[in-house]
Parts: sequence; C-alpha cells; structure tokens
Amino acid sequence: MGHHYITQLPNERYKFSKRGRLVTGFLMIVGLLIAGFGALRLQDSWQADNHSSELHENPHTDNYNSENHIASTHAENVDHHSSTHVENHSEGHHSTGWLSRVWAAFLVNAYYFFLFAVGGLFFVAVNYVANAGWATLIKRVAESMSSYIPIGFVLLMAAVYFGGEHLYEWLYYNNHKADLPADHLLDDKKWFLNRNWLYIAPIIFVTIWYALRTVIRRLSLKEDHEGGLMFFNKSIRFSAAFIVIFAFTFSVFSWLIMMSIDPHWFSTIFSVYNFAIMFVSSVTVITFITIFLKGQGYMNLVDEEILDDLVKFMFGFSIFWAYIWLAQFLLIWYANLPEESIYYYERWVAKYYPFFVANILMNFFLPFLVLIARYAKRNKYITLFGGILILVGHWLDIYLMVMPGVVGEKAGIGPLEIGFGIFFLGLFCYVLRHSLSKADMYPKNHPFVLESANHEVGP
Amino acid sequence: MAAKNILKKNLLIGIFDDGDKLYDAVVNLRERGVEVFDCYTPYPVHNLDRAMGVKRSRLVFGAFVCGLVGFLCGITLQLYTMTDTFGTFKSWPMIIGGKPIDWRVIPSFVPVTFELTILFTAFGMGILFFARSRMVHGIEEDLIDIRQTDDRLVLAIEPDKLSMTKEELETIVKNQGALDFYERNLNNTDENK
Repeated sequence: MGHHYITQLPNERYKFSKRGRLVTGFLMIVGLLIAGFGALRLQDSWQADNHSSELHENPHTDNYNSENHIASTHAENVDHHSSTHVENHSEGHHSTGWLSRVWAAFLVNAYYFFLFAVGGLFFVAVNYVANAGWATLIKRVAESMSSYIPIGFVLLMAAVYFGGEHLYEWLYYNNHKADLPADHLLDDKKWFLNRNWLYIAPIIFVTIWYALRTVIRRLSLKEDHEGGLMFFNKSIRFSAAFIVIFAFTFSVFSWLIMMSIDPHWFSTIFSVYNFAIMFVSSVTVITFITIFLKGQGYMNLVDEEILDDLVKFMFGFSIFWAYIWLAQFLLIWYANLPEESIYYYERWVAKYYPFFVANILMNFFLPFLVLIARYAKRNKYITLFGGILILVGHWLDIYLMVMPGVVGEKAGIGPLEIGFGIFFLGLFCYVLRHSLSKADMYPKNHPFVLESANHEVGP
Repeated sequence: MAAKNILKKNLLIGIFDDGDKLYDAVVNLRERGVEVFDCYTPYPVHNLDRAMGVKRSRLVFGAFVCGLVGFLCGITLQLYTMTDTFGTFKSWPMIIGGKPIDWRVIPSFVPVTFELTILFTAFGMGILFFARSRMVHGIEEDLIDIRQTDDRLVLAIEPDKLSMTKEELETIVKNQGALDFYERNLNNTDENK
C-alpha cells in the first residue's frame, strides 16, 4: 500500500533504572512512615475521644444528615425494624478500636491494588478470547500488571488473617459467641460465613488464577523465542478457561472479602459491581502506564490510535459501572426494605454523604463529560485528568464499601489511608517495572502484532 | 462515502478492481493536486476516507440533538404523569412505594429517561442517516456506473476543477491500474449510456 505500513518491529526492552528502584522504594518507605504516623496519632485521638464520649453520650440519630429527605422520611421506619444493626454500627459493632481503622485502611488499599493486578490478567485473557488485535502492542503492560498478584494477595490475606476480627463482624461474632447476644441471621449464614471459607477459599481461587496466568505468560514468552501459531491457539484455550473460572470465583471472592463486611446485608449484583470497578480502573492503569512509558521514550509504535481505543474502554466502562451502581441502588431505594436499605442508610449519614456524592460524580458524570469528545481521547493531558478522576473515584468507592461497616462514624481520610495508598503504589510500581524489564516490550511473534502496529481508528 | 448529488454532474470516471489500487490512485492524485470528487466501493476500503480528505461527519451533532429531545420527552412525560410539578397529579395520583411526588422521586425516572434518550437517538440517527445518504423513498436512481453494484470500485473526479489535461489524468489513472476510464458527459448523454 502507499502509506507507511509497518512490517518490522524494533527490539525494545524496559530498563528498570537504579533511579526507578530508588523512587519506588522511597514511595514504600514514605508511605509506611506516613501510615505509622497516622496510626499513632489515631491511637491518641481515639483514647481522647472515648473519654469525651463517656461524659456526654450522643444518641446516634443526631448524626444523620437532616438534608436527606428520602432517608429521613423513612428513618423512623428503618430504625424501628433494624435498630440493633444501627446501634451496632454507629457505636462500633464489635471490637472497634483504633486498630479497626488501621486494618480497614490497609484492606481498602490492598484490595484496590489487587484489583489492578487481576484486571490486567483479565484484559489479556479477554483480548485472546475475542481475537482482538488492536491491543497487542500493549499486551506486555497488562501482563506485567498481573505479576503483582502473588505479593498483593499475600498482603490482602494478611489483612484478612490478622485483622479479621476487626474487619468482619461475623467473624468476631463466631469467635466470641458466648459473650454476645444471639444474632439469628449470622447463625443462619454460618454455613458460608465461617473461618474455613474466609481463610481457604480465596487461596484456592487466587492459586488457580495465578497458575493460569503463569501458563499464559510462559506461552507468550516462548512465542517470542520460537514463533508459530501454536502458542497463540493454546493461549486462547487457557484464557477461555480463565474467564469462565474467574467469573464464578471472583464473585465468591468479592462476597467473602468485601460484602461480608456488612454481614446482615446482601446484594446479588455486588460481584458484578466489583468486576466493573476492577475493569474500569485497570484499563485506566494500563492507559497511564502506556502514557508513562511513552514519556520515557519507550513504545513509540503505540500512537494515539491505540490510546484512543483504550480511553474508549475507560469511558465505556465508567458508564457500565454507573449502570451497575444504579441497578444496585435503585432497587434497594425503591423497595425500601429495612434490611436492604440499611446499607445506603449508613452511607447517607453526614460523615459519608459527601463521599457518596463524590463517588457518583467522579466515577460517572465527570469522566463522562471529560472523556466523551474525540479530541479528549487523543489528548494526553485530558486523558490523564479523566483517568485520575476515575482512579481516585474508585478508591473512594472501595473506601465506601469498607469503612461504614468497619469503623462507622469514626472514619476519615487522613495520613493513615493515604500513607497505605502511597505504600501500595510504590510496591505495585516496583513489581510492575521489574516484570516489564523481564521481557521484550512488544510480543514480536504474536500473530496480531502488526495489526496492532498499523491500527487506525479512522477520521 | 457520504452521498452527493451526482445527477447533474459531468464526471471523469475510473473503474478499478482492487481496493489497494484505488487507494494508491487517490493518494497519488491528491499528491498532484487533483481533488477526488468521490469514490464508490462495494466494500469498505480501510483509510480511503482519510486519503480522500473527507471531513468528519456532522451526524454526531444530530445524534446529540435527538438524544436531548428524547431526554426532555422522557423527563417531561414522567414529571407530568408521576409528580405534581405541573399541577396535574391530583387528577390521577400514582403513588408507588410510598415515594414523594416532587422532584425527589427522580432516581426512579432514570431508567425510562435513559431508554427514551436511546430510542430517540437510535431512530433519529437512522432517519438522518438515510436522509443524508439520499436513500429516501421515491428518489431517482443515481448510479455512476452499474459495475459499482457488483465487484468494481469507482473513482469519480470533477472535470472542471482539474489542474491538468484530461489526457494526463487518464494516463495517471490507467497507470495506477484502472481497468477503464471515461467521461460521463450529461450534455450529450447518448454517447456514454
């Protein structure tokens, strides 16, 4: 053809420079220091708080947002039916000490960054299964993200093992049954909400994911050396297996780790909601890494045509997230059953209401307006702005899932939450860049790699 | 490509049998300063629109207007029938789930408003697209060359805007692999029909 058709790929390999190592290590240390400082300060203030609250006890209903018309019209109703839950939460349902907030802050960040890793793997698998060629050039980025799975999972499970009683009301209930009033709902759910499921099931699931990830990665590296269609065909089969297994196991995983924080409540769309968070934020991370690598002088073949499609994914899946969010919210809001609406009731108190509104604005309305135009998808800075909205928004999203159930009214966003965030960011970047430097930037023998290099969206 | 009214136009026409050849011809001609009037292909040729310098379609603006109309229709319909915003509620009150009857009920309007926005956009775009491509009922058939409905690709150039002679153009187009090159002259029609 007459135009410049790329037939040769340059050999590129990411160099994880000494400076890069220092920066990520510095982030980790600084993050831990900030978090430690936050924890110490929290311990002090918590003790001071407890003293003052003993002196003049506030009835918890005073704290609810009076501007909340819809909630307040039914507040008495809800209160009447499930007063035990409300009291449980607002006064700290179980062993709520300052450690609860530390573990909750840790869990928010551990889960958030673990989702990126799983999302990277899912992105690779879904492109194989769909026979999609456009993203082949950036496949290694997504692959490298999934190398964070083991370490991220170990940290996540550390929160579950060591902070379990602080985080999960039902676990505390099961362990201290003798001292607590009977809770028939938790007794009924004990066949699923018990230690065996929580401690063992996630390990089995993630081991299967990571085993499949290792196979796909190994096939991809072998393909680089030997070439041939055989590896590609095998990868499709393993990716399909991964997606099927992942669909079921990720649901159970999200119920155990996230939904059981509010053990009296349940939502059938919760796992899809978590999936939406996972996909939109990991696509955003892939976009950010690609822009970062281009800024470093790598990946010159990846032009705005591929970035355009990536940002379309960001845009589209932030709408998908809003769709799932609304599907969960609307049914609960409309039906107004006390045992269901308690979840949103807890999130409409004065403490969380700003986050609740910011969640919808930052994850749907603002990215929708910022990223809708074609020039926005092709402009690095607008993309970064929209992406930061999405990433911070989904951090808040997970924060809103965890905090009200664990620490109730005593939550906040302080050095603790941000410090752990910085620590995990440093760790994630370290693992990612280490993995990137282990393989060629472009999968040069992938059958679709030239299609990706010559990919054009059209005018 | 976007349909243009070609009924009253004299055109120079090249016939190709291959998308790549047509693409190269278009690139070559535009490099020599010849503007291509239009191309007619039985299947999409990648990047041909970009090579021809086709401007971005303004249909998206139409989509926005259709969507806005649908959105307003949906929201008005529900405010009119389900709330007391226009003072119409008392004639036929519909209280569902004990929800209030003013703007606070808006979350329950989201699905219907969304669906109507989509519906209006889809229908509006369908109609606009057919209108813009001149595929309206009762319109005169305006094929340039009957072979374009089979397996040939047609390149059309306006003769009055040429920067070279027609003979020069013919040699260029033929060198690019055209099977046929002729002039459609509507002033003495029987010559080419």
